[in-house]
Amino acid sequence: MFRNYLKIAWRNLWKTKLLTAVNILGLSVAFAAAILLVMTAYREFSYDRFHTNKQLYMLYINTYHAQGLEQRANMPMPLTPAMKQEFPEVKAATRMLYTSGMLRYHDKIFQTDLEGVDVDFLHMFSFPVTKGNTQAPLASLDNIVLSAQKAKSIFGNEEPVGKQLEARIGDNWKTFIVSAVTNDVPDNSSVEFDALCRFENAAGYEGQKDAWSSSTHYVYVQLTDHAGTAAFERRSKAFVNKYFAERLRDLKRDGATPGENGELIGMHLRKLTDLHLNGIGSSESLSKFYPYLLLLVGAFILFIACINFMNLTIAGAFTRSREIGMRKILGAFRFQLITQMWGEAVLVCGLALLIGLAAAYLLLPGYNSLFKSKLTFGLLQQPLLQGVAVLLFFLVTLIAGGYPAWVIARLNTIKVLKGSMQAGRSGKVRNVLMVTQFVISSLLICCTLIAWQQLNYLRNQPLGFNREQVISLPLPHDVNPEQALKRMRNKLAGEANVLSVTGTDINLGRGRDGSSATSKVSYDYNGHVISSNWLRVDYDYVKTLDLTLVAGRDFSPQYGADSMSLVINEKMAQQLGGVKAALGALLPVSDSAHPMQVIGIVKDFNFHSLQENIEPLSMFMSPGSSVQYIFVKVPRGNLPASMGLVTKRWNEAYPGNQTDPSFLDENTERQYRKEKRFSSIFISAAVLAIVISCMGLFAISVLVMTQRTREIGVRKVLGASVTSIVTLLSKDFVKLVLLSVIIASPVAWYLMEQWLENYAYRIHINIGIFIGAAVIAVLVAVITVSVQSIRAALMNPVKSIRTE
Amino acid sequence: MIQLRHISKHYPVGFGKNEILKDVDLTIFEGEFVSIMGPSGSGKSTLLHILGLLEEPSSGDYLFEGELVNKMNEKKRTQLHRGSIGFVFQAYHLIDELTVYENIETPLLYKNIPGAERKSRVADVLDRFNMVAKKDLFPNQLSGGQQQLVGIARAIVAEPRVILADEPTGNLHSDQARVIMQLFKHLNETDKITIIQVTHSEQNAAFGHRVIEIRDGKIQ
Repeated sequence: MFRNYLKIAWRNLWKTKLLTAVNILGLSVAFAAAILLVMTAYREFSYDRFHTNKQLYMLYINTYHAQGLEQRANMPMPLTPAMKQEFPEVKAATRMLYTSGMLRYHDKIFQTDLEGVDVDFLHMFSFPVTKGNTQAPLASLDNIVLSAQKAKSIFGNEEPVGKQLEARIGDNWKTFIVSAVTNDVPDNSSVEFDALCRFENAAGYEGQKDAWSSSTHYVYVQLTDHAGTAAFERRSKAFVNKYFAERLRDLKRDGATPGENGELIGMHLRKLTDLHLNGIGSSESLSKFYPYLLLLVGAFILFIACINFMNLTIAGAFTRSREIGMRKILGAFRFQLITQMWGEAVLVCGLALLIGLAAAYLLLPGYNSLFKSKLTFGLLQQPLLQGVAVLLFFLVTLIAGGYPAWVIARLNTIKVLKGSMQAGRSGKVRNVLMVTQFVISSLLICCTLIAWQQLNYLRNQPLGFNREQVISLPLPHDVNPEQALKRMRNKLAGEANVLSVTGTDINLGRGRDGSSATSKVSYDYNGHVISSNWLRVDYDYVKTLDLTLVAGRDFSPQYGADSMSLVINEKMAQQLGGVKAALGALLPVSDSAHPMQVIGIVKDFNFHSLQENIEPLSMFMSPGSSVQYIFVKVPRGNLPASMGLVTKRWNEAYPGNQTDPSFLDENTERQYRKEKRFSSIFISAAVLAIVISCMGLFAISVLVMTQRTREIGVRKVLGASVTSIVTLLSKDFVKLVLLSVIIASPVAWYLMEQWLENYAYRIHINIGIFIGAAVIAVLVAVITVSVQSIRAALMNPVKSIRTE
Repeated sequence: MIQLRHISKHYPVGFGKNEILKDVDLTIFEGEFVSIMGPSGSGKSTLLHILGLLEEPSSGDYLFEGELVNKMNEKKRTQLHRGSIGFVFQAYHLIDELTVYENIETPLLYKNIPGAERKSRVADVLDRFNMVAKKDLFPNQLSGGQQQLVGIARAIVAEPRVILADEPTGNLHSDQARVIMQLFKHLNETDKITIIQVTHSEQNAAFGHRVIEIRDGKIQ
C-alpha cells in the first residue's frame, strides 16, 4: 500500500513539473531562511546558559532622581564585602573590573583583557580550570589565570603555569605568576575575559576601597540554592538605609519621588541568563525583542510558503478528484485518503527541507558576514533545536498537506465522478489565503520603507558639528597621550592640508576601535543638583569641529588658567539659568574650594547618537584626565590624501605603533549598526516574502488561465482585444493585492510608530510610504500575472475553444 | 439479496423539489443478471447509485443481504464497497497515474490482502482477460474497449457478490460492446456474480435474465 502511494505521488509530482518545482523551490527558500533565523534567535537565547550554576545574578541599583529613574550596574568597592557579610542569601559574590589591556612577556606585548575579580569568581561561573592550581588559583594577589587561547598566544607550546609575566596597571608594570589556565570563554557569554587577577590589583583600589560615593565595577552574585530574589530585595532595604544614608538624604532634598515600592534607592538582581537580551540601564528595547522578531519573520516566511503549498495542493487536487472518488468506491476509508494526501505533502516538504538545509549550509558564511553573527551548523545538533525542527516540519506538512487532504476527502463521490465538480471555481479559501500572503508581504515592505527612511534621516540629520572633514585618531594604550598630542600638533603644524588639531577623551560616534564611553558629573549648585556630561577637550576643539560659540570664548593658550575653566553647551546653560547667568558662573564641580568657571557657551550639538536628546555638556581641559583621541580637521577636497598624510605623520612620530584613524562621518554611521542590521533583516525578509508570494501567485495564475482558456477563446472570437483580456484576467489579482495593502498599512503604521518612539530624532510616517508599498506590491503582482495572462490572451482561439 | 422498499429520491430545486424516484419497490435475487432500462432522466442512474451506496435515498428502506443499509455507518459501507460490491463505469474511471497492473491491484490493497496472494490474483485476472502483455501500460495507452476490460477486471478482482455497471458499453462500438457483454454473461454463469447493469441498448439487455423498465421515476 505504502509503495503504491509513493509511486502515485511520484508520478503525480512528475506530471505537474512546473507546479511541483514552484512548490519545492518556494518551500526550500522558506526553510533555508527559517533555519538561519531560528539558529540566530537560538544563539541569542542561549547566552549564559552554559553555567551549571543556576543561581547567578547581576546586581544593579535603581535610583529615583527628581528627573526620573536611573538604573545602573556600577557599584562602589566596599559594597561587595559588606553585602557578603549581611546577606545570608548570598552564597558567593564577585566584583569584576577591567584592570589592564596589556600583558608583557619577554618584552613582547600582548593585547589582553585582564579583569580584576574576587576569589569566588571561578567557583560561581563555569569556566573550568584545565591546568595548574584547580583549587584556589587566585589565592595570592600576584596570581594570574589565563584563558587557554591567551596562554597559547603568549607562551606557544611552553608550559604556562608557573611563568612570570607583567601587566600594565595604571602607569606601572606589575609582575604576576601564572597559576592556572581555564577553558576559553564561550562566545555566547556575557562575562568575558582573557585573563583574571585579584580585584585588589586594580588601579585606584587603595583610594576607593572604602569610598561609597564612586561606582566603578560590576558585581555578580550567587544566591543560596533555595533563596529567591524577593528575599534578597527585602533585606536590601535595611542595607541601603545603612550604607547609602547620605545619598538618600540628597535625593529627598532634591524632591525625588520614590518608585513603585516606595524606594528611592533599591538594590535588585537580574538573572544572568536574562542579561544579554535585557541589559541593565540600556534604553534599547529593540534588542530585547530582536530574537523574537527573527522568529516572527521566520514564521512569516514559512507561513507564506505554506500558503503556496496549500493553494497549489487544493487546486491540483481538484484535477485529481476523479482518482480520489474512484478510490472511495474501491473501498478507501477517509483517513486512508487523508494519509495518502498528507504523505505526498510530507514527501514534497521533506525534499524541500533537504534542499533548504543544503542551501542554509551553503549560505551560512555569507549570512554570518552580512549580519555579523557567528553561527555554525553545529548548533543544529542541539536536541532542543532538533525537536523544534521535527515539530515544525510536521506542523508545516499538516497545515500545507493536511488541510487540502481533508477538503478533498470530504468531496461528494458522485459529483466528482460525474465531473460536475468544477475545478476550484469558488476559490474563496484561495483568495483568503492569497490576501493573507500579501498582507504579510506588504507589511514587511512598509516596515522596510519606514526603517530605511528613518536610517536615512539619521544619517543626513545635521549634528551641529563638522563630521566630513575631521579625522579621529585613537591613541594606543602604550603611548603617553598628552605627549602624543603635543608631538602630533608639532608634526602637523606646518602642513597646508591640516586646518587644526585637538584632543579629547571620548570619541564622537564609534571609531574603528569600537569603544564608546559616557562620563557624567553631578554636584550641588545654588541648592540644586546639576548633572552634566563631562568631556575632556583640548585647545581648538571648538574650531576643529566647527562648533558655534554663542557667548564667551574657547580655551586658549593666551589665558593662563584654563585648567579651571569650562566651556558648556546651551542645555547646560539652561540648567544654570540661561546664557547670561551661566557665563562666568563658578561651579563647585569637585569641591567648593576650587570652583570652575564657565568661559564659553557653544550651540548644542549631538555628541551622542540621535537616539537620545542633547544633554547638558561641560567641556574642561585639566590634564588630570588624559586625552585618548586626536581630532584633525583637514580641508575639503582630497580627503584620502589628507588621511594618508595624518597616518604618515603618526607613523613618523611612533614608528611601529599602529593606530586606526577614521573620519567622523564614518564613526557616526557606525553608531547605527543596529538599525542597519534591523533594516537589512527587514529588507531580506520583505524580498523573500514577496518572491515566495509571487511564486504562488504565478502558479495560481497558471491554473486559472488553464481553467479559463475556453472563456478567453470565446471572448476573442467575439472581438475582444488582447489588452482588454489581459486587464480582465489581471484585475482579480490586483484587487486582492490592493486589499492586502489596505489591511497591512495600519498594522505597519502601529508597529513602526512603536519602534520610532525609541528615537529622539525621528521621521513621521506619512501616507506616501503606504502608497509606495501599494505601488511596489501591485507592480510586482501585475508583472507576475501578466506573463500568464498575455500568453493566454495571445493564444489562437481556434485551439482553445477546441479543448473540450 | 437486494431489496428496496418504498424508495424515493428527490432534490430540492428552488422552493419545490425535483422527484427522481417515486416509491420504488424492487427485489433482486442472488445470481441474477438484471438490466435497468429507460429514457434519459428517468432515474435509472440514480437507482444504481442508491444500490451501490453512493447516494442515499430520501425515504424508504434498502436491505442488502437482509441488513438495513440506511442504518449503516460510513465504515460499514466502505466495508461493503471493499468486499461485496464492484463497480463498472461508462467512462471507465481508471486511475491515470497507475499502470494496468496497479489499477487492478488497488482494491486488493484496500482489502489488506497479503502480497503473494495479491500477485497471484492479479495475475489470474490478467490471464483470464488476455491482458498479460499490457499489464505495464498506462490507461491512456489503451483503447476504450481495453480500458473497459481493465475496469471490469478491477471490479471482479476483489471477488464481489454483485457488480453494478453504469452503461458499461456506452463509449464503445458494437463489437467491443458484445465482448464486454459476453464477459458479463460468463461471470454471471460461472462465477455466480449478481450483475445489475444500466443500459440503453436492447441488444445488451438481451444478455440478462430480466429487464426493469423505469420511466419518470417509477418501475413499469
